[in-house]
Amino acid sequence: MPAPLAAPTRLRVWRCALALLMLAAAGFAQAAPAPVQTITSALASPSTAEQFPVDAPGSAVQLPDDWNDSRPQYEGSVWYRARFDAAEGGVPDELQALYIERVCTNFEVRLNGHRIFSGGRLTEPVTRNCLYPQLVPLPAALLRERGNVLDVHVVGHALQRVTSRERAAGLSALKIGPQSVLAAEHAQRLFWNVGSVKVVSLALAVLGCVMVALSWMQRREAYLGYFGWLSLAWALMSLRLWWRDMPWDNGVIEFLFCTGFAPVTALAVQYLISYTDLRSRWIETALAVQWLLMPLTLLLAGPARLFTMASVWYGLLVLEVLAAVGLHLYVTWRRKRPEFWPMAVLLAGAAAMVLTELAIQHDLVSLPRVQWLHFAVPLLFIAIAGRLMQVFARSLLTAEAGRSTLEGRVKEITAEIEQNFAQLAEMRVEQVTEKERKRIAADLHDDLGAKLLTIVHTSESERISTLAREALEEMRLSVRGLTGKPMRLADALADWRAETVSRLGQANIEADWRGPPEEVDQLLPARGFVQTTRILREAVSNIIKHSGASHCKVRCSISEHEFGLLVQDNGKGIPMELDGKLDRGHGMSSMKHRAKQMQGQCLVESGPGYGTVIRLTLPL
Amino acid sequence: MNNILLLEDLPEIRSWLKVLVKGVFPDAQIHEAARVHDALGLVGAVKFNLALCDLGLPDGSGVDVVAALREQQPECQSVVVTIHDDDDHLFPALQAGAFGYLLKEQARELIAEQLKRMSAGEPPLSPSIARRVISHFASQTQRQERPQNMPHVALTERENEVLLRVAKGYTLPEIGVQLNLSRHTIADYVKQIYRKLNVSSRAEAALEAQRLGLFRRA
Repeated sequence: MPAPLAAPTRLRVWRCALALLMLAAAGFAQAAPAPVQTITSALASPSTAEQFPVDAPGSAVQLPDDWNDSRPQYEGSVWYRARFDAAEGGVPDELQALYIERVCTNFEVRLNGHRIFSGGRLTEPVTRNCLYPQLVPLPAALLRERGNVLDVHVVGHALQRVTSRERAAGLSALKIGPQSVLAAEHAQRLFWNVGSVKVVSLALAVLGCVMVALSWMQRREAYLGYFGWLSLAWALMSLRLWWRDMPWDNGVIEFLFCTGFAPVTALAVQYLISYTDLRSRWIETALAVQWLLMPLTLLLAGPARLFTMASVWYGLLVLEVLAAVGLHLYVTWRRKRPEFWPMAVLLAGAAAMVLTELAIQHDLVSLPRVQWLHFAVPLLFIAIAGRLMQVFARSLLTAEAGRSTLEGRVKEITAEIEQNFAQLAEMRVEQVTEKERKRIAADLHDDLGAKLLTIVHTSESERISTLAREALEEMRLSVRGLTGKPMRLADALADWRAETVSRLGQANIEADWRGPPEEVDQLLPARGFVQTTRILREAVSNIIKHSGASHCKVRCSISEHEFGLLVQDNGKGIPMELDGKLDRGHGMSSMKHRAKQMQGQCLVESGPGYGTVIRLTLPL
Repeated sequence: MNNILLLEDLPEIRSWLKVLVKGVFPDAQIHEAARVHDALGLVGAVKFNLALCDLGLPDGSGVDVVAALREQQPECQSVVVTIHDDDDHLFPALQAGAFGYLLKEQARELIAEQLKRMSAGEPPLSPSIARRVISHFASQTQRQERPQNMPHVALTERENEVLLRVAKGYTLPEIGVQLNLSRHTIADYVKQIYRKLNVSSRAEAALEAQRLGLFRRA
């Protein structure tokens, strides 16, 4: 809500509003210039004759003459006779005209016995001229200097037979003067009575169509649809104000337009209630029942009591609308919506206008000269429609913004999911590979291992048993190389130590194993572990079987990029070949080959009395 | 030593084992089984002093028999005899309550020697097994929850000491020398370690079952 205006600004605004009001009032209250004469009294004779009934001249009445006051319940035609003189100083050169501000329902004019003007049809269906100001040019040929006789034949309906006081029969004061002067007044009055209504109703109809279309696209916003239809219905109802030659009887027209207010009220109530997201089954059924009840009661009451019945119904409908307005404002206030104040002002304005109309209807307020309610109410509707569409546009924008944030979020989540999926796929591949390896290992163990084992324990030959045993150990190692994960170098050293020391101990060879002094963190891949195990086992087997040593020394050294193993025994050494190289038979070549496979190297030094030294270096 | 259970599905190996066991314990009566189902039946019927169980059997794993023995006949020593030398296979058997393990392909004399030593109360402990035991107990102390009615098992300082040295690669006799303890004492420590491993594993399993039961109840 905008901050309250500062005091001096507020004063300025008030002053401007006041000035505008005064201008408008000045526009309406136009003093008649001097050459215009106003006839305020005439003879009135209720008669259906073709001319003024000279033998029954009737009585003198004051103009404006309201039939409900002067001859209540009278329905039909009344002849008025007035006399006037042409302007002082002879028949003027300017074209003269007769201006009748209001004549209801239709009329015709005779000047000095000649019929000079007719407003349309004087028999049913009567042309409806109630809201139209009339300008009748007075032909100069017929004008006399003195003693012109003006007969006005007015056809109208009793108040009881119409549904609105503005269509009760009557005649306003007559003005005679130069046509140019009166034409201006006539045009202005015509605009304010009829033109404005047409323009505003057309705008309202267009707006109504737009809102109905919008509600079609956006089914959730039911209130748009209701207000759209309400606008269209109201625009349609305004036909009664400016459509003069309707092809039906007055009774029928009045009946139709009166019952037309039932759907209008229903739509208004529905709009007010749906805007607050309330729904009530029984209200809807009540409104639907009203649609039927209203015409029914009007028919039952008969055309003679149309006005009373209509007034009662109007009162009821206004109450319903006011109740709906109250409910709407209450709910909106409770929810503390920011749209409360603008809508409250508009609805309050609407309520005020409706109450004023009701007051006019019941003669609590006299019929105003300008029927400003006729175009003020559609203007209000247009304002409300504008406000509704603003709200609608705003909600669209927020929906759009919401959608774009949602899209952004969806993109984020999709990227996340894709990343997760990639990760999962990787893990899956790892899992499957792991499973596959385990399966191979299990198969090997179960199948090959079992067979080798059987050979080990059932063979007669010691050599075959030993070979089968070695094959089994070899198989185990291979499976380990296939399925094993990289292990910590410290753990590998521990395993090697335990195996080597216990083997040497069983062969009664003193073992002196010294590992690296500080903690090592390096990892050794499974294959490296397996190959080094083979090399170590080969070396130890050689020492046990061939060297005849009594003491074996093992040293490990770890650096950042290298791992070194030294195995030294005090045995008789490896015999030399004839060409000066060491005997290849003791698995030396396989040890060297294995070391080379791991990008390392294996050096062997040997000599009688010197023992054998095996130096293994591997990169990490 | 009165009754010995022999669970092995390969017939040649079974007969070879039978011969070997008869050689070590001449007075004992040997009950053979080739399937877990038969072995479980025997466990229910006969009171055993020693059980030699293979792990890979056609209708299951020997670990179930070890667990059944631990539950129904706690005084029986169950030894796992298997091809696999990796701790992935041996550790669960030890957790289930096995007393020790033997590798099948070793020479007859070696196995006999080990069996004798085991029945005398000296179970084997390799570095990889020791590493698994250490990590098991480490994760146990980290976990806060404990099942009801299950004692909290923790290794004594001495036991931890022994375990760590084995994990470093020292042999049991070497450790005895280092800590100035007899072979018998070291063997006792290892026995305790295995027993506590079994208890703690059972507790862990019970907790898991409890949690699953809770989930099912909810």
